[in-house]
Amino acid sequence: MTCPVNGPRAISEFAYGGEIRPMPDPTTCSDDAWADYVFNRNGSPGVKREWWCHTPSNTWFVAERDTARDVIVRTYLYAGDS
Amino acid sequence: MSAIAFENVSRTPRAGVKGPGAAAWIAALDLPVPRAPNSWLPLPGGLIARLGLTEFLVEGSEAAKLAAPLSPGVYPVLRQDTALVLHGARLNELLLETCSVDFRALNLSTRPVVLTSMAGVGVTVIPGEGGGMPCCRIWCDSTYGEWFVETLTGVAGELEQPGHPCNQGVTA
Amino acid sequence: MPWRLLRFALSNKHPEPRMFTRHDTLKPAYDVVIIGGGGHGLAAAYYLARDHGITNVCVLEKGYLGGGNTGRNTTIIRSNYLTPEGVKFYDESVRLWQDLSTDFDLNLFYSNRGHFTLAHTDAALRTSRWRAEVNKHFGIESEVVGPEAVKKAAPMIDLSCGGHAPILGALYHAPGAVARHDAVAWGYGRGADLRGVEIHQRTEVLGIDVVGGKVTGVRTNRGNIATGKVLCAVAGSTPRVLDMVGIRSPIYVHPLQAMVSEPVKPWLDPILVSGSLHVYISQSARGELVMGASLDPYEVQSTRSTFDFPEGLSAHMLDMFPFLSNVKVMRQWAGMADMTPDFAPIMGRTPVEGFYLDGGWGTWGFKATPVCGKTMSYTVANDRNHDLITGFTLDRFRNFELTGEKGAASVGH
Repeated sequence: MTCPVNGPRAISEFAYGGEIRPMPDPTTCSDDAWADYVFNRNGSPGVKREWWCHTPSNTWFVAERDTARDVIVRTYLYAGDS
Repeated sequence: MSAIAFENVSRTPRAGVKGPGAAAWIAALDLPVPRAPNSWLPLPGGLIARLGLTEFLVEGSEAAKLAAPLSPGVYPVLRQDTALVLHGARLNELLLETCSVDFRALNLSTRPVVLTSMAGVGVTVIPGEGGGMPCCRIWCDSTYGEWFVETLTGVAGELEQPGHPCNQGVTA
Repeated sequence: MPWRLLRFALSNKHPEPRMFTRHDTLKPAYDVVIIGGGGHGLAAAYYLARDHGITNVCVLEKGYLGGGNTGRNTTIIRSNYLTPEGVKFYDESVRLWQDLSTDFDLNLFYSNRGHFTLAHTDAALRTSRWRAEVNKHFGIESEVVGPEAVKKAAPMIDLSCGGHAPILGALYHAPGAVARHDAVAWGYGRGADLRGVEIHQRTEVLGIDVVGGKVTGVRTNRGNIATGKVLCAVAGSTPRVLDMVGIRSPIYVHPLQAMVSEPVKPWLDPILVSGSLHVYISQSARGELVMGASLDPYEVQSTRSTFDFPEGLSAHMLDMFPFLSNVKVMRQWAGMADMTPDFAPIMGRTPVEGFYLDGGWGTWGFKATPVCGKTMSYTVANDRNHDLITGFTLDRFRNFELTGEKGAASVGH
């Protein structure tokens, strides 16, 4: 896998942080919507946007990965609010 | 004489900061700021390394400057590392055996800093050269320190065994 | 050469009955369609036919029988779980296992070995005591033993585990057993087949028709089928099938890898599991060491293997058994584990009428094969969840009523 800051490294240097999922506002959403966010996952194969961390440098970034073939499409730093 | 010399330099003063304001804050302290992520610059009696985008490590007498009051967006990083200096003709073989990064492929003139995992421990490495032989500085979390040193010394010892594949066709 | 064998070899037609009847075409309609020809699906078909008299059933299998997680697990059977729901459920399964060979007239090589869950830390020992108390309360043989009992049962073990993780004690479960896993699928499959159930291999489900919240049919690569009841028993493919009926679930799929060594003389009788070292090991009747570890650390929906796996597992194995250093690894493989947040399965009726789920079996499904067949066939036949599975329904997540089995379901969690 290629870390956007540290370059290509062995997969053992990385930790998986799960798929990127938008969080509903916990103060306004319904219990069902909150339970859906807490528990339910998109478990089918496909190209997914995921959180990954390069552990020696503690760099969190985004990887687009095909979970059916375990192939990394691309990686980049998260551009949202920081 | 041992083919790889180990020197434990954990007691050298060092300090670290990180955060979006760290680069400007360091510059205001009259310290040079390495421009590229994962690169370093020499200081009188030490060095300054940029770890990733916004974290800095200062080692040597200049580390005392980082005791200045922090500005917004600058956060202190506790540096209680185990720090080693390794030096010797066989160093590259030791690194190849314990780490997946090929240090020989790096261009030393760009002063690279490598954050990777060595013998399963997260490390920061600055490769270099001295007296025609490879050398490097390695920092790791001190809670792994004893085990890490023991493991590297063990592997280095194996490299010197006459039967080791690396020693075939090599004269000491 | 025996005459019978010669006749068999020379004949164009098979003079002997095959293990399974071959069906060239799908019928236009069945009372029940079971997706997944593994142990769970075939067991459900078997008990539907035997106990509930429902024989107009077909089992659809994308690959071949028992080619999924039924043939990819490490064949361990036990019931020393943590929650009352889990303990009662798995205990019933162990009971069913014991006379299954007679039931099928097929040798499953069910072999009672005893099962040690090694504790290397105070926390692990505490969980062991907790499990032992829950187990004993439900009448299951389960007790905490000291390191000397482990040494006695497996004399080759290094109790200090290379000095890294000394064994403080273990949870001992006498009924722990192993069985030949593919024979389980064949036994249930043949039993179902003899009772009129149709088994269709190499038949892939492409879609499920739902009209007005009710199942009406199944579309396959070999034609469409009308049916009012579908049972989904597809392990790692569960999220894909749930997408076909529009049900959201907490299931996430990680590969679980395993490997066997070359055959060696019998030296290990019990099954050993270590949570701290992330290993489990038993010796098969053929002498191979069957070894597994914890899940791969990230989601993948395929059965690929990695080199990191045998490397890491072997390192831990050598901590326990240093004398194995010259034994070769013969094969490695992976299965797709459909994991749930609480490490308990998801079973029973679903929001879609006529769609029944037997999934979320993660890394703990093989041992439950008989009881899943029993309870799911009851649930499908009566359209009512069997009493033993009420703790495992899908709506427990919406209601925040989880059945926490994490401490007992597998290693390394």
